[in-house]
Amino acid sequence: MPDAHADQDWRAWFAEHGARLRLIARQWTRCEADADDVLQEAFVRFWKHQRHLPGNPNALVVTSIRRAALDLLRRGDRRAAREKVVGDDMDTVTWFEPEADPRLAALADSLKLLPAEQREVVVLKVWGDLTFDEMGEQLSISPNTAASRWRYAMEALRKHITARTHD
Amino acid sequence: MTDPDHDIEQALASLRPRAPGPAVTARLAHELDASSSRRGLVIAWSAGFSALAAAFVAAFVFLGGVAESAAPNYQLVHVEQSRPDVQFFRPVQMNDGSYARPVRVRWQDTTRWEDARSNTRLINYRPNDQFTLLPLETN
Repeated sequence: MPDAHADQDWRAWFAEHGARLRLIARQWTRCEADADDVLQEAFVRFWKHQRHLPGNPNALVVTSIRRAALDLLRRGDRRAAREKVVGDDMDTVTWFEPEADPRLAALADSLKLLPAEQREVVVLKVWGDLTFDEMGEQLSISPNTAASRWRYAMEALRKHITARTHD
Repeated sequence: MTDPDHDIEQALASLRPRAPGPAVTARLAHELDASSSRRGLVIAWSAGFSALAAAFVAAFVFLGGVAESAAPNYQLVHVEQSRPDVQFFRPVQMNDGSYARPVRVRWQDTTRWEDARSNTRLINYRPNDQFTLLPLETN
């Protein structure tokens, strides 16, 4: 099969997209170290087996990240019984670079208030560049469900930001 | 019509996710390099094996061609001639006044040849039909 991205400099591609991909990995993992491991494993897996496929590689990489994260969670579930793995670290502020603007800092912080299924839709849409159709395939839900989760998330974030502004 | 979610989406998009640590980038670079070199090694091995295979095929074709050029060595293993079918006809008078009896004889010759090397068999079946006149002596 011919390589559809033969001229692609994948290191440069990763340098450009690595941060948002890591955020996607982070929201599916329990800690920063796991996010790094998942991102590395997912990208290498994509690079070895799928980089020659035609089309936008973004969705393939996101799929690879999700699989790697699920694999790690399954392994982690088995490991948890004997190692007492650190609990979920959902301090979403640390997912982003520090923001001088308090409104943006509050927005980053408010992501942790969202239910996990709404948060993943927000992350996949804003930083994953996925459409609701692609999200549906990714998460095994209908595009309408993805869209409604997005609307609920936006509503919740707006309420939270408004409340913080009035405080 | 303005999208009420647009401002929040834009604000979210302006957040800057943390970049992967230098350790990740280094491990990734190492992995990609290792895979490339492994791939190069595989390609080299594949090329070597391909050349070797091509040499074997060429040798096989060349040597095999000499062996195969010999015609099948068929040996005669069986000969059979059927019992002749003889038909006698009414005597006829010849131009010189003598008499002769027309006779028709039909039979089949069958020969069977075999090539033990290729385990093949050749059967030659030949029907024969001859017509002759037997002179009749009259007293």
